[in-house]
Amino acid sequence: MKITALLVLKAAPETTDPVILANASDVSHFGYFQRSSVKEFVVFVGRTVASRTPPSQRQSVQHEEYKVHAYNRNGLCAVGFMDDHYPVRSAFSLLNQVIDEYHKSFGETWRSAKEDSAQPWPYLADALTKFQDPAEADKLLKIQRELDETKIILHKTIDSVLARGEKLDSLVEKSSDLSMASQMFYKQAKKTNSCCTIL
Amino acid sequence: MQARHVHSSYRDRTNEFFGVVETLRRSIAPAANNVPYGGGRREDPRSAAVMQSEFNRRASVIGLAIHQTSQKLSKLAQLAKRSSVFDDPTREIGELTAVIKQEISGLNTALIDLQAVRNSHNDERNISRDTTTHSATVVDDLKNRLMDTTKEFKDVLTLRTENMKIHENRRQRFTNNPSKESTNPFVRQRPLASKPAPSQPAPLPWANGSSSSSSQLVPRKQGEAESSPLLQQSQQQQQQMVPLQDTYMESRAEALHNVESTIHELSNIFTQLATMVSQQGEIAIRIDQNMEDTLANVEGAQSQLARYLNSISSNRWLMIKIFFVLIAFLMVFLFFVA
Repeated sequence: MKITALLVLKAAPETTDPVILANASDVSHFGYFQRSSVKEFVVFVGRTVASRTPPSQRQSVQHEEYKVHAYNRNGLCAVGFMDDHYPVRSAFSLLNQVIDEYHKSFGETWRSAKEDSAQPWPYLADALTKFQDPAEADKLLKIQRELDETKIILHKTIDSVLARGEKLDSLVEKSSDLSMASQMFYKQAKKTNSCCTIL
Repeated sequence: MQARHVHSSYRDRTNEFFGVVETLRRSIAPAANNVPYGGGRREDPRSAAVMQSEFNRRASVIGLAIHQTSQKLSKLAQLAKRSSVFDDPTREIGELTAVIKQEISGLNTALIDLQAVRNSHNDERNISRDTTTHSATVVDDLKNRLMDTTKEFKDVLTLRTENMKIHENRRQRFTNNPSKESTNPFVRQRPLASKPAPSQPAPLPWANGSSSSSSQLVPRKQGEAESSPLLQQSQQQQQQMVPLQDTYMESRAEALHNVESTIHELSNIFTQLATMVSQQGEIAIRIDQNMEDTLANVEGAQSQLARYLNSISSNRWLMIKIFFVLIAFLMVFLFFVA
């Protein structure tokens, strides 16, 4: 469940290539000499996919062992490279968040960008590390996971309550036996006390 | 009241049984004549026998049908095993499959009816224990046979789908198809990232496996290699844009539904927990009362014993006093006499 890269691009009209506005990638698990080529590959595929995503549409493409998810909203396009296990919904909610954040921090300035910006955007790098676990990105997934844990705990609770019930049953048996025995004891004592005229 | 011979592995002694029943009834009938309400009793065994024979008839019908179904199934199995690459009797197999499925479902309902009939018989009037066990055994036997037949059916369907897969592989190799996707015809119809749902090597036997596999064998573009996939990708993407949007929304909706149902289940569990705990609270109160009773009893017994002890220890005093009085009397007597 890994995110390899996150990109924000400005999806210009079909003729021109999209312009990269922010880029964050995690290439630590590739060998040192492959890293730059992987980065270029990411850039190239991201541009291609972004250029083919119509506005206000989501898209997922399978490319070798990555799934590339793209979300285009009014010209601002967010692209993510994830592996096959990453749930699609979380990926798209993550892209949603990225785009919202970009809007908040940069407003409309990106519309004028003409070439790839080289400044790193710290939020994107943080997002990349934070959202390696899909539950973080997708609240629904997190809620579902917590609910499942709660259900497991409740099942265990019910089991222990059942065991407690059994113990209580055995206790009731024993206490009723006790009370019977003590009653007999009392009657016996009274009997010996009543006929004591003869020493 | 002739029951038909069912093709079974046991010896069918139904006819002997009926002969015995006849003789018994003849011997019972004159004896029942003497009893005042013997008329009513005579009616009962006869109607019981009638009901029982009807039950037997239906059971034998069902057994025969099961046997026929298993015969058809063996034919289907042979067809499935036999099929070669070019001589594929797909249509016949499909027809036979549908027929067998219908028969099996029909037999299921008939069996359930039979069981309901037997239960209603049992409720109406009291039959001997042997009859109930007999009918129960018959119903169980029929059910077992039906289950075996169903299992064989499932196996045959699995075999059939595997064969189809093998054929498709061979066909690909012979026709030298450049798409090279013969390895997994069941996975991923489009370049979507939605959950790989069709991860079933043996698709559900009841969901007409043969027809679905044949539909998925139409060659599809996968767009995986780097060289010329981009054009293909764009075409597919255009075609499947709208479904992907829907899929995304649907998956979100489904996730929400799941969360909601989980919360419902949780609330159920909580109410059950509360019920159990309150019931156990009652038990705890009972235990408490028992213990109090015990305590009271033991205290009473202890006081009794204490009194007894006192009386035992104090009796001697009384004795001594009585002795003294007696001796005083004796002394007085002695004084007067002597």
